Amino acid sequence: MRSLSLYVKRNSLIHKIDPLTKIIYVFVSVISPFIMPTLMFAFSLTLINLLLLLLAKVIKRVIPIISFVFIIILTIFVIQGMFYGANQTKLFTIFNLSFYVEGILYAAKISVRAINVLLAFSLLILTTPPAEMIESLVRRGMPAKLGYIMHSVLQIIPMMSSNASIIMDAQRARGMETEGSLWVRIKAFIPLIGPLVMSSLVNTHERSIALEVRGFSAATKKTFLHQEEVPGGMKQLRVFFFLFLTAVLAWRLVL
Amino acid sequence: MKKITINNLSYKYLLAENKALNNISLEVAKGDFIGVIGPNKAGKSTLCKSLVGLIPHFYKGEFEGEILIDKLNTLNSSIAEISLKVGLVFQDPFNQISGAKLTVYDELAFGLENNGVEREEMIARIDKYLDLMDLNKVKDNNPFELSGGQMQRLAIASIMALKPDVFVLDEPTSQLDPQGTEEVFKAVSRLREENLTVILVSQKLNKLADYANKILFLNQGEIVAYDDTAAVFSRNDLEQMGMGAPIYTEIARELGLKNDKDQYPIRKSEIKEMLVAKYGKNIG
Repeated sequence: MRSLSLYVKRNSLIHKIDPLTKIIYVFVSVISPFIMPTLMFAFSLTLINLLLLLLAKVIKRVIPIISFVFIIILTIFVIQGMFYGANQTKLFTIFNLSFYVEGILYAAKISVRAINVLLAFSLLILTTPPAEMIESLVRRGMPAKLGYIMHSVLQIIPMMSSNASIIMDAQRARGMETEGSLWVRIKAFIPLIGPLVMSSLVNTHERSIALEVRGFSAATKKTFLHQEEVPGGMKQLRVFFFLFLTAVLAWRLVL
Repeated sequence: MKKITINNLSYKYLLAENKALNNISLEVAKGDFIGVIGPNKAGKSTLCKSLVGLIPHFYKGEFEGEILIDKLNTLNSSIAEISLKVGLVFQDPFNQISGAKLTVYDELAFGLENNGVEREEMIARIDKYLDLMDLNKVKDNNPFELSGGQMQRLAIASIMALKPDVFVLDEPTSQLDPQGTEEVFKAVSRLREENLTVILVSQKLNKLADYANKILFLNQGEIVAYDDTAAVFSRNDLEQMGMGAPIYTEIARELGLKNDKDQYPIRKSEIKEMLVAKYGKNIG
């Protein structure tokens, strides 16, 4: 059974950067365009993220994600282009529907910010193994229980889906129709929920016992099997990100 | 030397009508290998849960009496504290995988990390128990991709790595195929080599006859017998209480073969010796 993870193993400079530095980068990259609300600034950061994704050799994986939000972005352009409150300068008209420069620019600002957020998070998720990321956060004080929840979700969702297929096989073996039209599938889904939820609850109960007897609630300070490898220059990079954020803040306050 | 002392232990689950355990008192010596048998609802699993402190700390209910592991009273200690002295492996191998680790190697570290074991010591223990439980070949696999027998051996190794003095196994082979069962019993024999005190609940009476030096027979939450393995399996009322005896004991009973302690033999080697003594070497 595979763990649920979007991580793509590649040999790149970005992959070598430690999780914490990447998390700080994502934070700065996501928050800055909201502090400095100019289109050019958000666009520049988006471009940087695209370049970094290219450098990390994972750009292909981002395309489906971008395509998915494309419809939403198109909707934003249509709605804001026509109905934005400050609309004044008409840009073009299609089928008696007028689109305005102000609305289009506003939609562009929102969309670029959204794409920037998406790209920044993609950079983190596609280049960092989830286990390393969670462990890095637990080392820095995130409660181990929260870390466990984040971790186990990645493993337990594929487990639940495998359980669901076992239950469906058993139901099929007793003559229940589970394939065919949408209506047949919906009907087959309802009797699946009961046994799936019940078996998951039983499993969770037993697993919590297994965790307890392995000291999950121990009051002692946790240790780690893996040593955290922080490549040289990361501290300076983190300081740079904070300085950048401070500069953006200062610029916004002064201007 | 006494390892476990149970004094007047009674327990009733929340909303249950009857007590799952009723006034149990017994002592287990260090290095003993106790086989626990009994029909359904005998209280076997409840006893296991009580020994590791899950009862009364995890399961709420009416708890009376006390369990002492050396001088540690389970009632006044946390499950985490008890887990360093008493390890528990239970039936379903799948649910004993933490779900937080992606490799068998890391899974073994889970309990050690929780208990703050230093990294060097952690690696030494993991390497030792990977070897001992014959899991080296799969150490980089995802724990959920192992076979049932391998998963159960991983569960045993994970608990052994915590170095408990007492090892409690609650029907560890009940969900395994014959090969998996064989693998787990081989692993259990290594527990004995480590000189641990072992409490093994199992319906595999032939195996218990091979490993256990004492048998605890529970029925409806009460002790029916707690004695040497041969003495318990020689009782005539086992069948009456829904239990059988090991196959060699049954054969000996049919043949009327008893040793000088007036007990039926429990192992193949013993029955063979007695038959040879009775009928000469050319038998069979």
